[in-house]
Amino acid sequence: MIHKILAERRTEMDLECEINGEPISLDVPPTRRLLSILRDDLQLTGTKVSCEIGRCGACMVLVDGQQVNSCLTMAYQCDGKSITTIEGLGSSEVDPIQQCFLEEGGYQCGYCTPGMIISVKALLTHNPEPSAEDIEEAMSGNLCRCTGYGGIIRSVQKAVSLRRNTQ
Amino acid sequence: MASEHENMLMSMSPSVLHPRDMTEAWTFKKLLDSDAVYVAGGTLLRTQWESGQAAMPKHLIDLSSIPGLKGIEKEEHSLAIGALTPLSECRKDEHIRLHCPMLVDAIRSIAAISVRNVATIGGNIVSRVGDCLPVFIVCQADFEWNTGLSPMTEDASEWTERLQAQLPKASHLLTRIHLPLFKTTEIVPRRFGAFHKVGRREAFTPSLITVALNGGLKADGTVGEIRVAAGGGQTIPHRLFAAEKLMKGQQINRELLAAVHQTIVDGYKPKPDPFATEAYRKKTAANLIVAELWKIAAGPSDEGRERDDP
Ligand SMILES: Cc1cc2nc3c(=O)[nH]c(=O)nc-3n(C[C@H](O)[C@H](O)[C@H](O)COP(=O)(O)OP(=O)(O)OC[C@H]3O[C@@H](n4cnc5c(N)ncnc54)[C@H](O)[C@@H]3O)c2cc1C
Ligand code: FES
Ligand code: FES
Repeated sequence: MIHKILAERRTEMDLECEINGEPISLDVPPTRRLLSILRDDLQLTGTKVSCEIGRCGACMVLVDGQQVNSCLTMAYQCDGKSITTIEGLGSSEVDPIQQCFLEEGGYQCGYCTPGMIISVKALLTHNPEPSAEDIEEAMSGNLCRCTGYGGIIRSVQKAVSLRRNTQ
Repeated sequence: MASEHENMLMSMSPSVLHPRDMTEAWTFKKLLDSDAVYVAGGTLLRTQWESGQAAMPKHLIDLSSIPGLKGIEKEEHSLAIGALTPLSECRKDEHIRLHCPMLVDAIRSIAAISVRNVATIGGNIVSRVGDCLPVFIVCQADFEWNTGLSPMTEDASEWTERLQAQLPKASHLLTRIHLPLFKTTEIVPRRFGAFHKVGRREAFTPSLITVALNGGLKADGTVGEIRVAAGGGQTIPHRLFAAEKLMKGQQINRELLAAVHQTIVDGYKPKPDPFATEAYRKKTAANLIVAELWKIAAGPSDEGRERDDP
Protein backbone atom coordinates (compact mmCIF):
# COMPACT_ATOMS: atom_id res chain seq x y z
CA MET A 1 0.00 0.00 0.00
CA ILE A 2 2.65 2.50 1.08
CA HIS A 3 4.72 1.75 -2.03
CA LYS A 4 1.69 2.54 -4.17
CA ILE A 5 1.37 5.91 -2.41
CA LEU A 6 5.10 6.49 -2.84
CA ALA A 7 4.81 5.93 -6.57
CA GLU A 8 1.75 8.20 -6.79
CA ARG A 9 3.52 11.03 -4.98
CA ARG A 10 6.56 10.95 -7.26
CA THR A 11 7.12 13.80 -9.72
CA GLU A 12 7.06 12.68 -13.28
CA MET A 13 9.83 13.71 -15.65
CA ASP A 14 8.03 16.73 -16.92
CA LEU A 15 7.83 20.38 -16.09
CA GLU A 16 4.90 22.60 -16.97
CA CYS A 17 5.53 26.29 -16.50
CA GLU A 18 5.59 29.59 -18.30
CA ILE A 19 8.85 31.05 -19.52
CA ASN A 20 8.84 34.66 -20.68
CA GLY A 21 5.09 34.53 -21.17
CA GLU A 22 5.08 31.29 -23.20
CA PRO A 23 3.54 28.14 -21.72
CA ILE A 24 6.13 25.39 -21.87
CA SER A 25 6.22 21.65 -21.22
CA LEU A 26 9.61 19.97 -20.81
CA ASP A 27 10.75 16.42 -20.26
CA VAL A 28 13.40 16.98 -17.56
CA PRO A 29 14.38 15.27 -14.30
CA PRO A 30 12.68 17.02 -11.36
CA THR A 31 16.00 17.93 -9.73
CA ARG A 32 17.53 19.49 -12.86
CA ARG A 33 18.62 23.02 -12.09
CA LEU A 34 16.65 25.83 -13.68
CA LEU A 35 19.97 27.33 -14.77
CA SER A 36 20.73 24.26 -16.92
CA ILE A 37 17.20 24.18 -18.30
CA LEU A 38 17.43 27.79 -19.40
CA ARG A 39 20.94 27.81 -20.79
CA ASP A 40 21.45 24.24 -22.04
CA ASP A 41 17.96 23.01 -22.90
CA LEU A 42 16.38 26.25 -24.11
CA GLN A 43 19.48 28.21 -25.22
CA LEU A 44 18.36 31.21 -23.16
CA THR A 45 21.98 32.16 -22.51
CA GLY A 46 21.22 35.71 -21.34
CA THR A 47 21.04 34.15 -17.87
CA LYS A 48 24.70 33.84 -16.91
CA VAL A 49 26.55 31.19 -14.92
CA SER A 50 29.41 31.76 -12.54
CA CYS A 51 29.63 30.53 -8.92
CA GLU A 52 26.75 28.00 -9.14
CA ILE A 53 26.17 28.19 -5.37
CA GLY A 54 23.96 31.23 -4.97
CA ARG A 55 26.75 33.69 -4.20
CA CYS A 56 27.19 35.88 -7.31
CA GLY A 57 23.73 36.60 -8.76
CA ALA A 58 24.80 36.12 -12.40
CA CYS A 59 22.04 33.51 -12.84
CA MET A 60 19.23 35.64 -11.37
CA VAL A 61 15.71 35.18 -12.81
CA LEU A 62 12.21 36.09 -11.68
CA VAL A 63 9.95 33.29 -10.47
CA ASP A 64 6.41 34.63 -10.06
CA GLY A 65 7.94 38.12 -9.94
CA GLN A 66 10.48 37.34 -7.21
CA GLN A 67 14.21 37.28 -7.79
CA VAL A 68 15.78 33.84 -7.29
CA ASN A 69 19.10 32.22 -8.15
CA SER A 70 18.42 29.77 -10.97
CA CYS A 71 21.50 27.75 -9.94
CA LEU A 72 19.79 26.92 -6.62
CA THR A 73 16.34 26.22 -8.06
CA MET A 74 15.25 22.75 -9.13
CA ALA A 75 12.81 21.94 -11.95
CA TYR A 76 10.06 20.70 -9.63
CA GLN A 77 10.19 24.02 -7.74
CA CYS A 78 9.22 25.79 -10.99
CA ASP A 79 6.19 23.66 -11.79
CA GLY A 80 3.16 25.86 -12.46
CA LYS A 81 5.24 29.02 -12.02
CA SER A 82 5.91 31.95 -14.29
CA ILE A 83 9.61 32.50 -15.03
CA THR A 84 11.07 35.64 -16.51
CA THR A 85 14.63 35.78 -17.79
CA ILE A 86 16.52 38.77 -19.14
CA GLU A 87 15.28 37.81 -22.64
CA GLY A 88 11.72 38.29 -21.36
CA LEU A 89 12.35 41.84 -20.15
CA GLY A 90 13.40 43.66 -23.28
CA SER A 91 11.71 41.42 -25.84
CA SER A 92 9.85 44.10 -27.80
CA GLU A 93 11.83 47.19 -26.83
CA VAL A 94 14.64 47.99 -24.43
CA ASP A 95 13.32 47.92 -20.87
CA PRO A 96 13.63 51.32 -19.12
CA ILE A 97 15.92 49.67 -16.54
CA GLN A 98 18.21 48.45 -19.32
CA GLN A 99 18.18 51.95 -20.82
CA CYS A 100 19.29 53.43 -17.48
CA PHE A 101 22.19 50.96 -17.27
CA LEU A 102 23.21 52.03 -20.80
CA GLU A 103 23.01 55.73 -19.99
CA GLU A 104 24.67 55.65 -16.56
CA GLY A 105 27.55 53.29 -17.34
CA GLY A 106 26.07 50.52 -15.21
CA TYR A 107 28.31 47.89 -16.77
CA GLN A 108 31.79 47.27 -18.13
CA CYS A 109 32.30 43.66 -19.25
CA GLY A 110 28.54 43.16 -18.85
CA TYR A 111 28.66 39.66 -17.40
CA CYS A 112 26.84 40.57 -14.18
CA THR A 113 24.40 42.91 -15.96
CA PRO A 114 21.49 40.53 -16.77
CA GLY A 115 21.41 39.43 -13.11
CA MET A 116 21.65 43.02 -11.91
CA ILE A 117 18.78 44.14 -14.14
CA ILE A 118 16.58 41.25 -12.97
CA SER A 119 17.20 42.27 -9.33
CA VAL A 120 16.34 45.90 -10.08
CA LYS A 121 13.15 44.76 -11.82
CA ALA A 122 12.10 42.80 -8.72
CA LEU A 123 12.99 45.70 -6.44
CA LEU A 124 11.00 48.30 -8.37
CA THR A 125 8.02 46.00 -8.78
CA HIS A 126 7.70 45.56 -5.03
CA ASN A 127 9.08 48.89 -3.87
CA PRO A 128 8.85 51.74 -6.40
CA GLU A 129 10.42 54.28 -4.00
CA PRO A 130 13.38 52.42 -2.48
CA SER A 131 15.73 54.14 -0.04
CA ALA A 132 19.51 53.87 -0.52
CA GLU A 133 19.45 51.12 2.08
CA ASP A 134 16.67 49.24 0.25
CA ILE A 135 18.70 49.41 -2.97
CA GLU A 136 21.78 48.07 -1.18
CA GLU A 137 19.79 45.20 0.33
CA ALA A 138 18.09 44.33 -2.97
CA MET A 139 21.39 44.30 -4.87
CA SER A 140 23.56 42.63 -2.22
CA GLY A 141 23.24 39.22 -3.91
CA ASN A 142 24.66 40.51 -7.21
CA LEU A 143 28.42 40.76 -7.44
CA CYS A 144 30.30 42.82 -10.03
CA ARG A 145 34.05 42.43 -10.61
CA CYS A 146 34.41 45.50 -12.84
CA THR A 147 32.44 48.61 -11.99
CA GLY A 148 33.00 49.27 -8.29
CA TYR A 149 29.18 49.54 -8.14
CA GLY A 150 29.09 53.36 -8.55
CA GLY A 151 27.61 53.17 -12.07
CA ILE A 152 25.20 50.43 -11.02
CA ILE A 153 23.82 52.45 -8.10
CA ARG A 154 23.46 55.49 -10.40
CA SER A 155 21.57 53.34 -12.92
CA VAL A 156 19.17 52.09 -10.24
CA GLN A 157 18.58 55.61 -8.93
CA LYS A 158 17.89 56.81 -12.46
CA ALA A 159 15.44 53.94 -13.02
CA VAL A 160 13.65 54.94 -9.81
CA SER A 161 13.27 58.59 -10.85
CA LEU A 162 12.36 57.66 -14.43
CA ARG A 163 9.57 55.46 -13.12
CA ARG A 164 8.40 58.22 -10.75
CA ASN A 165 8.34 60.82 -13.54
CA THR A 166 6.50 58.65 -16.06
CA GLN A 167 3.67 57.64 -13.72
CA MET B 1 12.65 -7.44 0.61
CA ALA B 2 12.12 -4.45 -1.62
CA SER B 3 8.89 -4.46 -3.60
CA GLU B 4 8.66 -3.90 -7.34
CA HIS B 5 7.58 -0.29 -6.72
CA GLU B 6 10.53 0.33 -4.47
CA ASN B 7 12.97 -1.18 -6.98
CA MET B 8 11.53 1.08 -9.63
CA LEU B 9 11.94 4.11 -7.37
CA MET B 10 15.52 3.24 -6.51
CA SER B 11 16.52 2.82 -10.14
CA MET B 12 15.31 6.34 -11.02
CA SER B 13 17.48 8.55 -8.92
CA PRO B 14 16.99 11.13 -7.61
CA SER B 15 13.24 11.15 -7.42
CA VAL B 16 11.13 13.81 -5.75
CA LEU B 17 8.24 12.78 -3.51
CA HIS B 18 5.44 15.21 -2.71
CA PRO B 19 3.70 14.06 0.49
CA ARG B 20 0.19 15.38 1.01
CA ASP B 21 0.50 15.66 4.79
CA MET B 22 2.99 15.39 7.62
CA THR B 23 2.22 11.76 8.34
CA GLU B 24 2.99 10.82 4.75
CA ALA B 25 6.24 12.79 4.84
CA TRP B 26 7.29 11.11 8.08
CA THR B 27 6.31 7.66 6.76
CA PHE B 28 8.34 8.19 3.56
CA LYS B 29 11.36 9.21 5.61
CA LYS B 30 11.05 6.25 7.95
CA LEU B 31 10.70 3.86 5.02
CA LEU B 32 13.47 5.25 2.82
CA ASP B 33 15.72 6.19 5.76
CA SER B 34 19.12 7.57 4.69
CA ASP B 35 18.16 7.24 1.01
CA ALA B 36 15.86 10.26 1.43
CA VAL B 37 16.09 13.79 2.85
CA TYR B 38 13.45 16.36 3.64
CA VAL B 39 13.77 19.40 1.37
CA ALA B 40 12.27 22.77 2.22
CA GLY B 41 13.80 25.55 0.06
CA GLY B 42 16.79 23.35 -0.76
CA THR B 43 19.23 26.29 -0.62
CA LEU B 44 21.52 24.77 1.99
CA LEU B 45 21.21 21.24 0.60
CA ARG B 46 22.10 22.44 -2.89
CA THR B 47 25.34 24.05 -1.59
CA GLN B 48 26.18 20.85 0.29
CA TRP B 49 25.62 18.72 -2.82
CA GLU B 50 27.59 21.08 -5.06
CA SER B 51 30.54 21.27 -2.64
CA GLY B 52 30.62 17.51 -2.12
CA GLN B 53 29.88 17.96 1.62
CA ALA B 54 26.90 15.64 1.15
CA ALA B 55 25.90 13.24 -1.62
CA MET B 56 22.61 13.87 -3.38
CA PRO B 57 20.31 11.18 -1.98
CA LYS B 58 18.16 8.85 -4.04
CA HIS B 59 14.94 10.57 -2.96
CA LEU B 60 13.97 14.08 -1.97
CA ILE B 61 10.89 14.55 0.21
CA ASP B 62 9.45 17.91 -0.82
CA LEU B 63 7.99 19.55 2.28
CA SER B 64 6.58 22.50 0.31
CA SER B 65 3.80 20.23 -0.99
CA ILE B 66 2.33 19.88 2.53
CA PRO B 67 -0.48 22.37 3.15
CA GLY B 68 -0.58 24.43 6.34
CA LEU B 69 3.15 24.71 7.05
CA LYS B 70 3.53 28.24 5.72
CA GLY B 71 2.54 31.60 7.18
CA ILE B 72 2.60 33.60 10.38
CA GLU B 73 -0.27 33.95 12.83
CA LYS B 74 -0.59 36.06 15.94
CA GLU B 75 -1.94 34.06 18.86
CA GLU B 76 -2.78 35.34 22.33
CA HIS B 77 0.72 35.02 23.80
CA SER B 78 2.89 34.14 20.84
CA LEU B 79 3.48 34.28 17.12
CA ALA B 80 3.10 30.94 15.37
CA ILE B 81 5.48 30.74 12.41
CA GLY B 82 5.07 27.87 9.93
CA ALA B 83 8.40 26.08 9.38
CA LEU B 84 8.05 26.35 5.61
CA THR B 85 7.66 30.14 5.67
CA PRO B 86 10.32 31.71 3.46
CA LEU B 87 12.79 33.99 5.24
CA SER B 88 11.69 36.92 3.01
CA GLU B 89 8.12 36.57 4.25
CA CYS B 90 9.29 36.58 7.88
CA ARG B 91 11.52 39.58 7.16
CA LYS B 92 8.51 41.60 5.91
CA ASP B 93 5.88 40.36 8.35
CA GLU B 94 4.19 43.10 10.36
CA HIS B 95 3.85 41.02 13.53
CA ILE B 96 7.49 39.96 13.56
CA ARG B 97 8.64 43.51 12.85
CA LEU B 98 6.57 44.81 15.72
CA HIS B 99 7.11 42.11 18.32
CA CYS B 100 10.55 40.73 17.54
CA PRO B 101 12.64 43.24 15.56
CA MET B 102 15.81 41.36 16.45
CA LEU B 103 14.55 38.41 14.39
CA VAL B 104 14.20 40.81 11.46
CA ASP B 105 17.81 41.92 12.03
CA ALA B 106 18.94 38.28 12.06
CA ILE B 107 17.05 37.45 8.85
CA ARG B 108 18.31 40.58 7.10
CA SER B 109 21.83 39.34 7.77
CA ILE B 110 21.20 35.97 6.12
CA ALA B 111 22.36 35.57 2.50
CA ALA B 112 20.61 37.94 0.02
CA ILE B 113 16.97 38.50 -0.95
CA SER B 114 17.12 35.99 -3.82
CA VAL B 115 18.18 33.21 -1.43
CA ARG B 116 15.76 34.35 1.29
CA ASN B 117 12.86 34.21 -1.22
CA VAL B 118 13.34 30.42 -1.33
CA ALA B 119 15.09 29.56 1.96
CA THR B 120 12.78 28.76 4.86
CA ILE B 121 12.89 29.58 8.54
CA GLY B 122 12.58 25.85 9.35
CA GLY B 123 15.55 24.98 7.14
CA ASN B 124 17.57 27.64 8.94
CA ILE B 125 16.77 26.08 12.29
CA VAL B 126 17.26 22.43 11.33
CA SER B 127 20.64 23.30 9.77
CA ARG B 128 21.67 23.68 13.46
CA VAL B 129 23.95 26.62 12.69
CA GLY B 130 21.43 29.04 11.13
CA ASP B 131 21.84 32.66 12.11
CA CYS B 132 18.24 32.86 13.42
CA LEU B 133 18.90 30.33 16.16
CA PRO B 134 20.43 32.63 18.81
CA VAL B 135 17.31 34.81 18.57
CA PHE B 136 14.99 31.86 19.13
CA ILE B 137 17.10 30.74 22.08
CA VAL B 138 17.00 34.07 23.90
CA CYS B 139 13.33 34.63 23.08
CA GLN B 140 12.37 31.28 24.64
CA ALA B 141 10.79 30.08 21.42
CA ASP B 142 9.27 26.62 21.28
CA PHE B 143 9.85 24.33 18.32
CA GLU B 144 6.95 22.07 17.41
CA TRP B 145 7.91 18.77 15.78
CA ASN B 146 6.01 15.98 14.10
CA THR B 147 7.66 12.83 15.41
CA GLY B 148 5.34 10.35 13.76
CA LEU B 149 3.48 9.51 16.96
CA SER B 150 2.35 12.72 18.57
CA PRO B 151 3.47 16.32 18.16
CA MET B 152 6.39 17.25 20.40
CA THR B 153 7.25 20.74 21.58
CA GLU B 154 10.71 21.65 22.82
CA ASP B 155 12.27 24.89 24.02
CA ALA B 156 14.81 26.20 21.47
CA SER B 157 17.50 26.41 24.10
CA GLU B 158 16.96 22.83 25.30
CA TRP B 159 17.00 21.62 21.69
CA THR B 160 20.34 23.31 20.94
CA GLU B 161 21.81 22.08 24.25
CA ARG B 162 20.90 18.55 23.26
CA LEU B 163 22.46 19.06 19.82
CA GLN B 164 25.84 19.73 21.44
CA ALA B 165 25.89 16.02 22.31
CA GLN B 166 23.73 14.26 19.71
CA LEU B 167 22.43 14.72 16.19
CA PRO B 168 18.72 15.53 15.75
CA LYS B 169 16.47 12.65 14.69
CA ALA B 170 16.44 12.75 10.89
CA SER B 171 12.77 11.75 10.71
CA HIS B 172 11.57 14.55 13.03
CA LEU B 173 9.74 17.17 11.04
CA LEU B 174 9.77 20.76 12.27
CA THR B 175 6.28 22.12 11.76
CA ARG B 176 5.96 25.39 13.68
CA ILE B 177 7.87 27.87 15.80
CA HIS B 178 6.10 29.56 18.70
CA LEU B 179 7.69 32.89 19.48
CA PRO B 180 6.48 34.41 22.77
CA LEU B 181 5.30 38.02 22.81
CA PHE B 182 7.21 39.86 25.49
CA LYS B 183 5.42 42.65 27.30
CA THR B 184 6.63 45.15 29.85
CA THR B 185 5.18 44.52 33.31
CA GLU B 186 5.15 46.42 36.59
CA ILE B 187 8.04 44.30 37.80
CA VAL B 188 10.00 44.59 34.54
CA PRO B 189 8.98 47.96 33.05
CA ARG B 190 11.83 48.18 30.52
CA ARG B 191 12.58 45.46 27.97
CA PHE B 192 15.59 45.16 25.70
CA GLY B 193 16.78 42.86 22.96
CA ALA B 194 19.45 42.75 20.28
CA PHE B 195 21.07 40.59 17.62
CA HIS B 196 24.52 41.10 16.12
CA LYS B 197 26.43 39.21 13.47
CA VAL B 198 30.06 39.58 12.53
CA GLY B 199 31.27 38.06 9.27
CA ARG B 200 34.23 38.59 7.02
CA ARG B 201 32.40 41.30 5.08
CA GLU B 202 29.70 43.79 5.96
CA ALA B 203 26.87 42.20 3.94
CA PHE B 204 25.99 38.88 2.25
CA THR B 205 28.50 36.96 4.32
CA PRO B 206 28.52 33.78 6.38
CA SER B 207 28.78 34.49 10.08
CA LEU B 208 31.88 34.19 12.20
CA ILE B 209 30.07 35.21 15.36
CA THR B 210 26.40 35.78 16.15
CA VAL B 211 25.07 36.97 19.50
CA ALA B 212 21.59 37.68 20.80
CA LEU B 213 20.28 38.95 24.10
CA ASN B 214 16.81 39.48 25.48
CA GLY B 215 15.71 40.67 28.87
CA GLY B 216 14.22 43.35 31.07
CA LEU B 217 15.27 45.90 33.65
CA LYS B 218 13.38 46.47 36.88
CA ALA B 219 12.28 49.95 37.94
CA ASP B 220 15.40 50.31 40.11
CA GLY B 221 17.61 49.60 37.06
CA THR B 222 18.67 46.11 38.13
CA VAL B 223 18.48 43.23 35.66
CA GLY B 224 15.14 41.46 36.17
CA GLU B 225 15.53 38.79 33.55
CA ILE B 226 18.08 38.05 30.85
CA ARG B 227 19.00 35.42 28.30
CA VAL B 228 22.20 35.59 26.26
CA ALA B 229 23.29 33.25 23.45
CA ALA B 230 26.18 33.08 21.01
CA GLY B 231 26.89 31.08 17.87
CA GLY B 232 28.27 31.73 14.40
CA GLY B 233 30.15 29.78 11.73
CA GLN B 234 29.84 26.06 12.41
CA THR B 235 29.24 26.61 16.14
CA ILE B 236 25.87 25.34 17.33
CA PRO B 237 24.55 28.37 19.24
CA HIS B 238 24.25 28.03 22.98
CA ARG B 239 23.14 29.99 25.99
CA LEU B 240 25.75 31.66 28.17
CA PHE B 241 24.30 30.59 31.50
CA ALA B 242 27.16 31.81 33.70
CA ALA B 243 27.02 35.32 32.25
CA GLU B 244 23.24 35.42 32.73
CA LYS B 245 23.58 34.33 36.36
CA LEU B 246 26.17 37.00 37.04
CA MET B 247 23.85 39.74 35.79
CA LYS B 248 20.54 38.73 37.40
CA GLY B 249 19.50 41.21 40.08
CA GLN B 250 22.54 43.44 39.48
CA GLN B 251 22.95 47.02 38.31
CA ILE B 252 24.78 47.16 34.98
CA ASN B 253 28.01 49.02 35.70
CA ARG B 254 31.66 48.95 34.69
CA GLU B 255 32.65 46.29 37.25
CA LEU B 256 29.78 43.99 36.33
CA LEU B 257 30.53 44.33 32.61
CA ALA B 258 34.21 43.50 33.15
CA ALA B 259 33.17 40.34 34.98
CA VAL B 260 30.57 39.46 32.31
CA HIS B 261 33.20 39.93 29.59
CA GLN B 262 35.57 37.51 31.30
CA THR B 263 32.78 35.00 31.93
CA ILE B 264 31.82 35.00 28.24
CA VAL B 265 35.44 34.54 27.17
CA ASP B 266 35.62 31.57 29.56
CA GLY B 267 32.19 30.09 28.81
CA TYR B 268 31.58 30.53 25.08
CA LYS B 269 32.77 27.48 23.12
CA PRO B 270 33.13 28.43 19.45
CA LYS B 271 34.39 26.11 16.73
CA PRO B 272 37.46 27.66 15.11
CA ASP B 273 38.14 27.41 11.36
CA PRO B 274 40.98 28.62 9.11
CA PHE B 275 39.36 32.08 8.96
CA ALA B 276 39.10 32.90 12.67
CA THR B 277 40.66 31.47 15.81
CA GLU B 278 38.80 30.42 18.91
CA ALA B 279 40.33 33.33 20.84
CA TYR B 280 39.14 35.88 18.25
CA ARG B 281 35.61 34.48 18.33
CA LYS B 282 35.44 34.46 22.13
CA LYS B 283 36.70 38.03 22.39
CA THR B 284 34.39 39.31 19.64
CA ALA B 285 31.33 37.65 21.20
CA ALA B 286 32.20 39.14 24.60
CA ASN B 287 32.79 42.59 23.07
CA LEU B 288 29.47 42.54 21.18
CA ILE B 289 27.45 41.50 24.21
CA VAL B 290 29.12 43.89 26.64
CA ALA B 291 28.82 46.82 24.20
CA GLU B 292 25.11 46.10 23.91
CA LEU B 293 24.69 45.91 27.69
CA TRP B 294 26.53 49.20 28.01
CA LYS B 295 24.04 50.83 25.61
CA ILE B 296 21.15 49.36 27.61
CA ALA B 297 22.53 50.79 30.84
CA ALA B 298 23.06 54.16 29.19
CA GLY B 299 19.51 54.84 28.04
CA PRO B 300 16.18 53.73 26.60
CA SER B 301 16.55 50.84 24.21
CA ASP B 302 15.38 50.59 20.66
CA GLU B 303 15.17 46.85 21.21
CA GLY B 304 18.37 46.22 19.32
CA ARG B 305 17.18 47.71 16.05
CA GLU B 306 20.13 48.66 13.86
CA ARG B 307 18.77 50.24 10.72
CA ASP B 308 15.36 49.50 9.33
CA ASP B 309 12.49 51.72 8.42
CA PRO B 310 9.14 50.77 9.96
C1 LIG C 1 24.47 31.86 -0.98
C2 LIG C 1 24.00 31.37 0.35
C3 LIG C 1 24.21 32.15 1.48
C4 LIG C 1 23.77 31.72 2.73
N1 LIG C 1 23.98 32.54 3.81
C5 LIG C 1 23.52 32.16 5.02
C6 LIG C 1 23.68 33.04 6.15
O1 LIG C 1 24.23 34.14 6.05
N2 LIG C 1 23.18 32.61 7.35
C7 LIG C 1 22.54 31.42 7.50
O2 LIG C 1 22.10 31.11 8.60
N3 LIG C 1 22.38 30.58 6.45
C8 LIG C 1 22.85 30.92 5.22
N4 LIG C 1 22.69 30.07 4.15
C9 LIG C 1 22.15 28.72 4.37
C10 LIG C 1 20.66 28.52 4.06
O3 LIG C 1 20.25 29.24 2.94
C11 LIG C 1 19.74 28.89 5.21
O4 LIG C 1 20.15 28.24 6.39
C12 LIG C 1 18.28 28.55 4.89
O5 LIG C 1 17.43 29.12 5.84
C13 LIG C 1 18.01 27.06 4.79
O6 LIG C 1 16.63 26.88 4.47
P1 LIG C 1 16.12 25.92 3.29
O7 LIG C 1 14.65 25.95 3.34
O8 LIG C 1 16.74 26.27 2.00
O9 LIG C 1 16.70 24.54 3.83
P2 LIG C 1 17.00 23.17 3.04
O10 LIG C 1 18.25 23.32 2.26
O11 LIG C 1 15.78 22.71 2.32
O12 LIG C 1 17.23 22.22 4.29
C14 LIG C 1 18.28 22.41 5.22
C15 LIG C 1 18.30 21.21 6.17
O13 LIG C 1 17.16 21.22 7.02
C16 LIG C 1 16.34 20.05 6.81
N5 LIG C 1 14.96 20.57 6.89
C17 LIG C 1 14.48 21.66 6.23
N6 LIG C 1 13.24 21.94 6.67
C18 LIG C 1 12.92 21.01 7.59
C19 LIG C 1 11.78 20.78 8.43
N7 LIG C 1 10.70 21.58 8.38
N8 LIG C 1 11.80 19.72 9.29
C20 LIG C 1 12.89 18.90 9.35
N9 LIG C 1 14.00 19.08 8.60
C21 LIG C 1 14.02 20.12 7.74
C22 LIG C 1 16.77 19.47 5.49
O14 LIG C 1 16.61 18.07 5.45
C23 LIG C 1 18.25 19.87 5.46
O15 LIG C 1 19.00 18.96 6.21
C24 LIG C 1 23.12 30.47 2.86
C25 LIG C 1 22.90 29.69 1.72
C26 LIG C 1 23.32 30.13 0.48
C27 LIG C 1 23.06 29.29 -0.72
S1 FES D 1 25.71 31.23 -10.69
FE1 FES D 1 23.93 31.34 -9.48
S2 FES D 1 24.42 32.76 -7.96
FE2 FES D 1 26.32 32.50 -9.02
S1 FES E 1 30.42 44.63 -15.46
FE1 FES E 1 31.90 43.04 -15.41
S2 FES E 1 31.22 41.86 -13.75
FE2 FES E 1 29.96 43.56 -13.61
